[in-house]
Amino acid sequence: MQTSEQEAEDSAAQPPVPVFVARGLSKVYGSGDSQVTALKNVDLDIRQGEFIVLLGPSGSGKSTLLNILGGLDAPTSGSAKWRDHQLTGAGDAELTTYRREHVGFVFQFYNLIPSLSVEENVRLVAQIASDPMDPKEALELVGLSHRARHFPSQLSGGEQQRVAVARAIVKRPDILLCDEPTGALDVDTGRLVLAAIAKVNAQLGTTTIVITHNSAIAGMADRVLRLSGGRIVKEEPNPNRVSAEDVQW
Amino acid sequence: MVNVLDIKVVRDLWSMRLQLLSIAMLVAAGVAVFVMSVSNYRSLIGAMESHYRNERFADLFAGTTRAPLVIADRLREIDGIGIVEPRVAKPVRIIREDTNLPISGRIISLPADGQPLLNRLHLVQGRWPDPLHPEEVIINAAYAEARAVRMGEPIEVVLNGRLQDFRVVGSALSPEFVFATRSAVPLPDDRNFVVLWAGEDAVASAFDMKGAFNDVAMTIAPGSSVRHVLDELDRLLAPYGGTGAYDRGDQPSHRFLEDELAEQETLSIFMPSVFFGIAAFLLNVVIGRMVEAQRGQIASLKALGFANGTIALHYFKLVTAIALLGSAVGLVLGCWFAVGVVGSYRAFFRFPSLDARFEPWLLVAATLVSVVAANLAAATSVYRIAVLPPAEAMRPATPPALQTFAWLQTIGSRVIPLQYIIAARTTLGRPIRTVLSTIGIALAIPLILFGLYWFDAIDYMIDVSFSRVERGDAFLTFTEPVSTDTLHELKALPGVLNAELQRVVPVRLRVGYRTYRTSAIGLDPGSELRVPRDKALQPISIPADGIMLSRQIASQLDLHVGDTVSIDVLEGARAVRELIVRRISDDILGSSVTMDRSALNHVMREGPVANVAALRIDPAQSELVWSRIKSMPRIEGSSVKALWLSLFNDTIGGMVLIGALILAGFGMLIAIGVVYNSARIALQERAWELAGLRIIGLTRREVSAVIVSELVAELVVAIPLGLLIGRYLIELIASARASQSFQIPAVIDPSSYVIASLLVIAAAFASFIMVRRRIDTLDLVAVLKTRD
Ligand SMILES: Nc1ncnc2c1ncn2[C@@H]1O[C@H](COP(=O)(O)OP(=O)(O)OP(=O)(O)O)[C@@H](O)[C@H]1O
Ligand SMILES: [Mg+2]
Repeated sequence: MQTSEQEAEDSAAQPPVPVFVARGLSKVYGSGDSQVTALKNVDLDIRQGEFIVLLGPSGSGKSTLLNILGGLDAPTSGSAKWRDHQLTGAGDAELTTYRREHVGFVFQFYNLIPSLSVEENVRLVAQIASDPMDPKEALELVGLSHRARHFPSQLSGGEQQRVAVARAIVKRPDILLCDEPTGALDVDTGRLVLAAIAKVNAQLGTTTIVITHNSAIAGMADRVLRLSGGRIVKEEPNPNRVSAEDVQW
Repeated sequence: MVNVLDIKVVRDLWSMRLQLLSIAMLVAAGVAVFVMSVSNYRSLIGAMESHYRNERFADLFAGTTRAPLVIADRLREIDGIGIVEPRVAKPVRIIREDTNLPISGRIISLPADGQPLLNRLHLVQGRWPDPLHPEEVIINAAYAEARAVRMGEPIEVVLNGRLQDFRVVGSALSPEFVFATRSAVPLPDDRNFVVLWAGEDAVASAFDMKGAFNDVAMTIAPGSSVRHVLDELDRLLAPYGGTGAYDRGDQPSHRFLEDELAEQETLSIFMPSVFFGIAAFLLNVVIGRMVEAQRGQIASLKALGFANGTIALHYFKLVTAIALLGSAVGLVLGCWFAVGVVGSYRAFFRFPSLDARFEPWLLVAATLVSVVAANLAAATSVYRIAVLPPAEAMRPATPPALQTFAWLQTIGSRVIPLQYIIAARTTLGRPIRTVLSTIGIALAIPLILFGLYWFDAIDYMIDVSFSRVERGDAFLTFTEPVSTDTLHELKALPGVLNAELQRVVPVRLRVGYRTYRTSAIGLDPGSELRVPRDKALQPISIPADGIMLSRQIASQLDLHVGDTVSIDVLEGARAVRELIVRRISDDILGSSVTMDRSALNHVMREGPVANVAALRIDPAQSELVWSRIKSMPRIEGSSVKALWLSLFNDTIGGMVLIGALILAGFGMLIAIGVVYNSARIALQERAWELAGLRIIGLTRREVSAVIVSELVAELVVAIPLGLLIGRYLIELIASARASQSFQIPAVIDPSSYVIASLLVIAAAFASFIMVRRRIDTLDLVAVLKTRD
C-alpha cells in the first residue's frame, strides 16, 4: 500500500514512468501462403495502476497481445518489458517466475481445478505467492466467502468466474489480465465480475487490462485501445470512468 | 469420396501413434507367446509322429536273459500282436585314447539284410554296414556329433569283457533314442553314451547269442488289449529270464519325450491364456480410457446427427487397425521365437527333422483372437458413451465424488501442497478407474516374474539335486555286482576322499493294474553321498525294512505311507516281493525307490554286494583318479557331476534361458506400455487443467508432480499386488507342470521380486520423463482456446 500511495503522489507531480513498454511487437503465425499476421508493429506504454480496455473485432489480435504481455506467448519480433522484466526472449523459467509473482489471469473459460474446492483453488495461488492475502479475504472481495467449501462443479458460471477473479487477485498481483471475462455471462453476473475487477484495480492499484467485445465496458477504463488487423488503430483516454454498476450494456 | 470419419481414423491413429504403438505391443506380446508356445508344442508332436511313423517305432518291448529264436515264433502267435522283431542288445564300454572317463554304450544287432522291421535307422551320415564286413558299425548321430567321429574311424569296444575293434561307417537316428540316456538321470550325455548298431552275427558271437535273442521289439494290432498282450509276453518269456514286457510309456526315451510334451501342452495352453488374458484386460483399460478421453468428440458427432452405429464402427475400425498391426508384429516375433525355441530342442531331442511348424489355423486364430479381444475391449467403453444423450456426453465426465473427500480439505490440505491434494482427489474420486489401471500395472509384474522364475527354479533344482541329494562328485557303474573289497580299493585310491556303495536294480512296482518301471536304490544307513530329503529339505533316514518312494511315483500309483506295494525285480532271480511304503521323499530330478542296501540284497537273495559306487574326489587329483579307474576291470560307465552340470547348463539351461528372456522381455514391454499409457492418457485428459496450473504460475516441476504422484500412488499399490499375483500364478504353473521326470519347484528368489519391481519402476521412470517432456512443451496459448 505504501508504494502505491507513493506512486500516486508521483503521478500527480510528473507523467509517471510506464510499467509496460512494448516496441514494434509483431506476431506471425505459419509461413508462406498460410501465413497469418496476428500483430503488426505494435508500440504500447501502460502506466502503473492503469485500467485498460482492449476492443476490436474477432481476430484482430487482442488475445495475442494480452498473452505476450502475460508472459504466455512470445512475439515474432519486437520487444516488451514490464518494469525490469524483459518479456521477449526470456526463458520459460523467467516467464514462470514473472507470472507467479506479478500476474493474475482471468479467462473466458474459468479454468478452475475441478478437484479443488473454491477455497483451495484460491489457496493454490496463495501457496506459491510471496505476499498473498488471506484466501478468505480474496473470496470476500468477490462476495463468495460463503461458498468456500464447495467445488467448482457446484457453482454457476458467474460464480466460477468470480472464483477465478479471487484466485487472480489473492497474490496481490501487480498486473491483472482478463480475456473476455464476461464473455460467457449474462448482464447481471457480468457486472458482478467487472465490479470485482474494478475493485481490485482501485484498492490494490493493480495495472489491469481487460479484453471485451462489449464497448459499454469501455466506460470503466482509464484508456481504451482499439485493435484492428493486428494494429492499435485508436487510443481513447476516458476521463470520466464509470463504476461497474453504472455500465450500460 | 472419402468418408470424413475415415480421415479421422487415420488422423487419430497418427496423433496417438506412440500410445497406440504401446497398445499394439500388448497385442503383439499376446500373439507372439501364443504362436510361440503352440508352434513349439505342435512342432515337437509333429516331429515325433513323423519319426515314429517313418522309422516304425515299436509299441511293445521286452527283455530276457537269453531266449532261443523259436520263442519269437511263439510270441507271434499271441492274440493281438503284430510284428515281432527279436534282437540282441547289450551294454558295452568304449575306450578312447583322449579321455580317462569310461564311455558307456549299448550295442544292438541289425538283421543281416539291412534295416530292421521296427525301430529303423534314419541314416544321417555314411552308409549301411557291408554284411561281408562284420566290423562295420553305425553309431548314433548324437555321439558322432559330440565326439566329432569321422566316417571310417576305428572304435574300440569292450564287449562282454573283451576288447574288439570296429569301424564306424555311418551315423543314424533311431526312434528308440530320440532322447538318449542310459540311466534314470533325465539328461542326455551325448559325449559319454553311444549306441552302436552292428550286424547280428558279430553281436551274437561276441555275446554267445547265436540262434538266440535277449531283447524284442513288437507292434500291437489296433484295438487289442495292451494289458493282455503284456501279460502273455511275461508268461512266455518268464522261463528265459524275462525282465518284464512294457509299452511305450515305460520306454525311457519315449517316457521323457511324453513328459516334456505333456508339459509343453499345459504350457502352450496356460502361458498364452495368462498372457492373452492379461493383455486383453490391459487393452480394455487402455482403450477404454482412450475412448473415454474422446467423449466430447463422440458427443459432438452425435449432436451433428451421426448414428450410434456409425460412431461405433469408427472406433471398431480404429481398434481393428491397432489389433492387426499388433498381430502382424506378434506373428513375426512369435514365428521368429518359435524357430529359436524349437531349435534349442535339437540338442535335446534327436529327430530326423525338427523344424518350427506354423499351421495356418494357428496364425489365423491368433489374429482373430486379438482382433476380437481388442474390439470387445473397446465395445464396452464405446457403448457406455454411445448410450449417453449428446448433451450429457458433451459435458466432461461426471466429476468425482469429491464431497466424500471433504475431510482431506480440513485435515490434509493445510499441510500438504495442493498439487498432491489434486492427485489424491483424482485418484480416490474415480475409484474404478484407479483400481483398473493399478491392476493393469500390477499385471505386468507376473509376466516379468515368469521369465525370472525359471532361473530361480533351475538354480534351486541344481542346488537341491547336486549339493544336497546327490553329494558325490562322480558315480561308477559296474558290469556285475562287486563286494566291499572294491569299496576299500576305491577308498585307497589317492585323490578319493570318500566312497560309498549302492545297489541299483531295475524294478517294476505294481498296485492293482497300475505298474511303474523304475530303479530301486539300496543305500547304506547313514549314507552321506546320497541323502534323500523331504519338502523342507530335511534329510530322511532310510527305512530298515520297506521302501521309501519319490512323491511323483507315490501320487501316480496313489500310494501312501503304510500301503503295501508289489515289487518285481527285473534282474537276477526275478524276485517278487510285497513291501510296505515307509516314507515318501521329495525328489526334483528323477524318481526312484530307495531301500536299505542289505534289505535290497536280501530281496535279491544275494550277499552284501553293490553295482554302483559314489565317489568324492579331490578336484586337484581327479585326472589321476580317473586314469586309475580306467584300468580297473568291470567298470561299465561313469558319470561326473561337474560334466553333468555343464551339460545341464548347455541344454536345459540354454533352452530355458531363451524362453525366460523372451517372457521377461515381453513383461518389460507390457510394463512400459501400461505405465506409459496411464501417464499419456492422464495427460491427454487433463492437459487443460495442467495448462491452467502453468498459467497461474506453477512451475513445470510442480505441475508434473500432480501426474507423477498419481502414478506413484498407483505403483505403490500395484507392485506388491503384482508380486502376490505373480507368486500365485507361478505356484499354479508349477503344479500344472509336475511330471514324472522332473518337478520344477515354485521357488522365487527374493532378487527376482526386486528385479521385477525395479523393471516396472524403470518403466515408470521412463514414463515420468515423458510426462515431464509433455508438460514442458505444453502449448499454453493453444490450450486457452479450447475447452476440450
Ligand atoms: N496458432 C495459430 N495459428 C495460426 N493463426 C493463428 C493462431 N493463433 C491465432 N491466430 C490468428 O491470429 C489472429 C489473432 O488472433 P487472436 O486470438 O489474437 O484474436 P482475438 O482478437 O483475440 O480474436 P477473438 O476476439 O475472436 O478472441 C487471428 O487471425 C487468428 O486466426
Ligand atoms: Mg481472443
